[in-house]
Amino acid sequence: MSADPRFLIVDDFSTMRRIVRNLLKEIGFGNAEEAEDGVAALNLLRNGKFDFIVSDINMPNMDGFALLKNVRADENLKGIPFLMVTAEAKKEDIVNAAQNGANGYIVKPFTKATLEEKVQKIMKTHA
Amino acid sequence: MGHSDANSLRELDRANESLEPLAVHVWGDTSHFAFCETPADASAPNAGSANAVPEGHGGAELYQRIGHLTRTLHNALHELGYHDSLADARDHLPDARDRLAYIARLTGDAAEKVLNSVDRARSVQDATSARAKELRARWAAVAAYTAAGQRTTPAGQALVEETCAFLVTLGDQAAQTNAILTEIMMAQDFHDLTGQVIRKVVSLSQELEEQLVKLLIEATPAEQRKKIEVGRLEGPVVNAENRTDVVTDQAGVDDLLASLGF
Repeated sequence: MSADPRFLIVDDFSTMRRIVRNLLKEIGFGNAEEAEDGVAALNLLRNGKFDFIVSDINMPNMDGFALLKNVRADENLKGIPFLMVTAEAKKEDIVNAAQNGANGYIVKPFTKATLEEKVQKIMKTHA
Repeated sequence: MGHSDANSLRELDRANESLEPLAVHVWGDTSHFAFCETPADASAPNAGSANAVPEGHGGAELYQRIGHLTRTLHNALHELGYHDSLADARDHLPDARDRLAYIARLTGDAAEKVLNSVDRARSVQDATSARAKELRARWAAVAAYTAAGQRTTPAGQALVEETCAFLVTLGDQAAQTNAILTEIMMAQDFHDLTGQVIRKVVSLSQELEEQLVKLLIEATPAEQRKKIEVGRLEGPVVNAENRTDVVTDQAGVDDLLASLGF
């Protein structure tokens, strides 16, 4: 992973995108782009280089699960770490995310410490 | 209760009686359903079995009986005059939906304002912190110079030391303020969470409204439909963009008054 990893934040609520972006900046990752759903995210991913995806699940057009499956099925994108940040707290969803290749799962509301811990942990395994 | 009302109720009772064993057949124990007056008979065929539609002619029979029940309910609603209540419910749903959307919009705007303010405050804090750091370094150089015994007074030496200490404190305070700003920022996640709930309720009410409209179309003769009078005082306008009889902001008020010569 590069010294200044580029993040893609995917969430249909702009408030949450801003919160995640600011938190990442505080943690030390100021290089981030935003997408409002899975479709917009895939467009950005296929037209630029990203090192980390932080995505919501419940979104219009294409949800987080579909985005995850698309990313893992794409030869050029499948290696990008994928962290779910969502209000969906059902065990079934968490298992589903893990089985489909998510590297982490955070349930909203969350803290800065939780986000930092998960991001750093994933970064280490992908170093 | 009129003769036709009594007939409709009897018809509904018969429908319930015929529905109960059918429901037991499909869902197992149905004692928690509103249409069952007594707990389902445990000895009913397939009681407690998986809720699959029976194979062969059973499936066709199921749909036939549901169709019959729908017709019975349709007739009963029509004869008992329930279409008025349905019409009321249907007319109130869009209003409730608009009000929920209004809440979602206002809370979203509020969250954005707070985030903007946090960003601005953080920018000021960062500038103050950077300036304090720079001055601290310069005063430290002065302190080192005066400590070497060059052109200093006790008061001057004390001032240098106190200023250095203050600048160190200022840096710590800026860090504390930044931590508080982070907490304020994180608290705005309520908009995402409440917004998702509101979105689901809005979607549910939309589906309910569609079903009610279908039922109303079937159950209500056109000549009996009546328009619900809109209340004179509505409170905040929650769907101004869809209306031509309201203004959307203060500029609209001012323009209107100006056009009237005020």
